[in-house]
Amino acid sequence: MAKKIRIVLTLQLPAGKATPAPPVGTALGPHGINIVEFTKTYNEKTADKVGQVIPAQITIFEDRSFTFVLKTPPAADLLRKAAGVDRGSATTGREKAGTITRDQLREIAAIKLADLNANDLEAAMRQVEGTARSMGIEVAG
Amino acid sequence: MRSPGARSPGGAAPAAGGTGAGGDPGADAWLELAVTCDPEAVEAVSEIFARIAPGGVSVEPGFTLVDEGLGAAVDPAAPATVRAYLPARDAGPARASAAAVERALGHLQAFGLREIGELRTRVVHEADWASAWKRHVGVLRVGHGIVIRPTWRRHRRRAGDTVLAMDPGMAFGTGLHPTTRLCLAGIERWADEGLLARGGARDGTARLLDVGCGSGILAIAAGLLGAGELLGVDPDPIAVEATLANARRNRVARRLRARRGSLPSGAGPFDLVAANLIASLLATLAADLAAELRPGGRLLASGIFVDREAAVRQALEGAGLRVLRREAEGDWVALEAERGER
Repeated sequence: MAKKIRIVLTLQLPAGKATPAPPVGTALGPHGINIVEFTKTYNEKTADKVGQVIPAQITIFEDRSFTFVLKTPPAADLLRKAAGVDRGSATTGREKAGTITRDQLREIAAIKLADLNANDLEAAMRQVEGTARSMGIEVAG
Repeated sequence: MRSPGARSPGGAAPAAGGTGAGGDPGADAWLELAVTCDPEAVEAVSEIFARIAPGGVSVEPGFTLVDEGLGAAVDPAAPATVRAYLPARDAGPARASAAAVERALGHLQAFGLREIGELRTRVVHEADWASAWKRHVGVLRVGHGIVIRPTWRRHRRRAGDTVLAMDPGMAFGTGLHPTTRLCLAGIERWADEGLLARGGARDGTARLLDVGCGSGILAIAAGLLGAGELLGVDPDPIAVEATLANARRNRVARRLRARRGSLPSGAGPFDLVAANLIASLLATLAADLAAELRPGGRLLASGIFVDREAAVRQALEGAGLRVLRREAEGDWVALEAERGER
């Protein structure tokens, strides 16, 4: 149907385990979106990715119907995997939590390029490197 | 258009760490953390928020509407707002987490990422997130007698009312889009003219095809107003499921079929066709739409952005249809056309 868009937003949620609690309820409730239907559909679509964070980019239309697409996992998840760091061992950025190579950084930036709103791979790498440093993950080389 | 609220400070938000100072925030309280930042810093800020908010993070990017408002492009130059929530039943731990986030955000700037705004916090209350959205949903009235009622709302039926029970979801929202209203009003007009009461259905009433049926609202309305055979087609499986569920809810399931796909339906000819699509699709499908109609049958073509009306008219006329009527609401136009007798 021809429907004008009201707002676009992204929710980074635990795959297969989203609940109507915030941030889902606070982000969608005020737009009159059927929150239970969203969480149910999201959990069905991400059931095979439990343990990962899978962002959903949600488009809400003027008539308050909605649709969503799944995006690539946040850079932080990919960085943890590449550096072999567990969730929860992220630090304030002062202690070193792990190391990745420049090639790994490039690889993660390439995966994320389409979702990062970066103009080119260099810009995407800069963003991912900023996230890595904030997590205490060093880029070697 | 930019997303509302981008870069606007969070009202009377207390500074980080100022959660519910001087009292218990309550069992249903959540502490909202929000930062407006350059899109380049969104990933890093989200990661910091995710450390303390296991439920997830929301990101509201700046975006521009494109393609007559039917599409949106995220604006890489506009700031985005990142939000996360932590239970604030106990103010102490929430305050400590917020302070840790603020420290981590302070370090971020040193890593060469572009601008990151101040951390804003506020306490939000809500008892039941799963049903809170229902407050925004009411009973809607279209035309002179069509009433759309969410299943949990009561409605006192007036004489002549046709009540559709519809629960909002992905295929159908909590408000009616002008293009849908125009179509419903058109179908009601068909009923008033007696067009739903006669035609090629087995019981002598009309056969109607709903192209791009979505929630099924148009076919169901036609069924409740008297059409005897209804077919909805939609490429989206969610729409087909929603149409069938709504048909059962409104007790027209025995007269309504729905399936995934587009045109040709393979089930023509129909007395009436409703197509609530978009202008470009109506123009492309004009000949197929005409082919679904019996000679003398009527088409309701809706979802036409006012700028594109001429192109749609031309396509319909080129397919042997004669435009009988034009209705408009806001920027949207619906055309009613008739297939020639040949």
